Amino acid sequence: MTTGALVPGVAFPDLDLPDHTGRRRSLSEIAGGDPVALFTSRGWWCPKEQRYLRQLVALQDEFEVAYAKLVVVSTDPPEVQSAFRAGLGARFTFLSDAERVWLDRLGLRETTDTVHHPYRPAGFTLFPDLKIHAAYNGYWSFGRATNEEIRQDMRAISMRIRADWALAA
Amino acid sequence: MNAGSSRLVWDGRRLATKLGAPGRRFRADPRCFAGERVRAFAHVCALPDESARLPFDQPEVQQVRRDALAWWIPLLGDSLVCLTTLVVDPVNYGGAITVATDPAVFHSDPFARIFPGTVVETDLFCPVPAPPGPIEERKAGVAWPGGRFM
Repeated sequence: MTTGALVPGVAFPDLDLPDHTGRRRSLSEIAGGDPVALFTSRGWWCPKEQRYLRQLVALQDEFEVAYAKLVVVSTDPPEVQSAFRAGLGARFTFLSDAERVWLDRLGLRETTDTVHHPYRPAGFTLFPDLKIHAAYNGYWSFGRATNEEIRQDMRAISMRIRADWALAA
Repeated sequence: MNAGSSRLVWDGRRLATKLGAPGRRFRADPRCFAGERVRAFAHVCALPDESARLPFDQPEVQQVRRDALAWWIPLLGDSLVCLTTLVVDPVNYGGAITVATDPAVFHSDPFARIFPGTVVETDLFCPVPAPPGPIEERKAGVAWPGGRFM
């Protein structure tokens, strides 16, 4: 069963998966009332993923002071994610779909890797209620969200949800 | 104490939540007291001395929270019950408490870099999901990692 098209305006499924420490988490609990930038990833072994996640690590210093969350989903088991995360210097959450519970439901199976069955790289910027603001197909590297696009998406979402966003007249 | 209250008192040897308990008063993440409490060990990295405080915005206080997100929480693994900073007032950090079912790795606690740690057996705390990171800002003066806007 798939969840339907993951397009702007649609609610992203409330994933329930173990994190990089093996603890069960839900996406809505991780969001905790803040915007989320969520990325699916092939896994630690892919040089394209290593490069892209280093880019996200460069962005985490902004996220940590801006009330927004970063989440990466892959089919790597939690212990592999934990090691990969430590190597990257990441301080955000990795969710493990090693059992491939959500892979096909999300319609994000990487069709060209018929051996490992990883996620296709994709990115979603989400409102706190998990409604999709923007979706990025990262199958081709230049389809992936740049840090500036992620930043602009977080600004657009924050403008909508923060009641005190505008300067007082 | 009502469930969800944030009051915590530390006299250097004992933790208490009762109004009027002797010791130094802090505010902790209220989620740590809002559920079913478990028997565990608390690593209290705080001092009873009122002068032991630092602004939350000091680099060392920011960095220790980054360390908590990067490796302290993963190191604790399944034994983590909850974790909270201790708020003195809207500006100042008074310490932190990590609660775990196994105290074996408390000697590595990054929060002990700021104020030394004391291990206390306790049943005051309940399990709270680990903070997801990378957020290390506080919300409206609530003890990190607690609080939310919506």
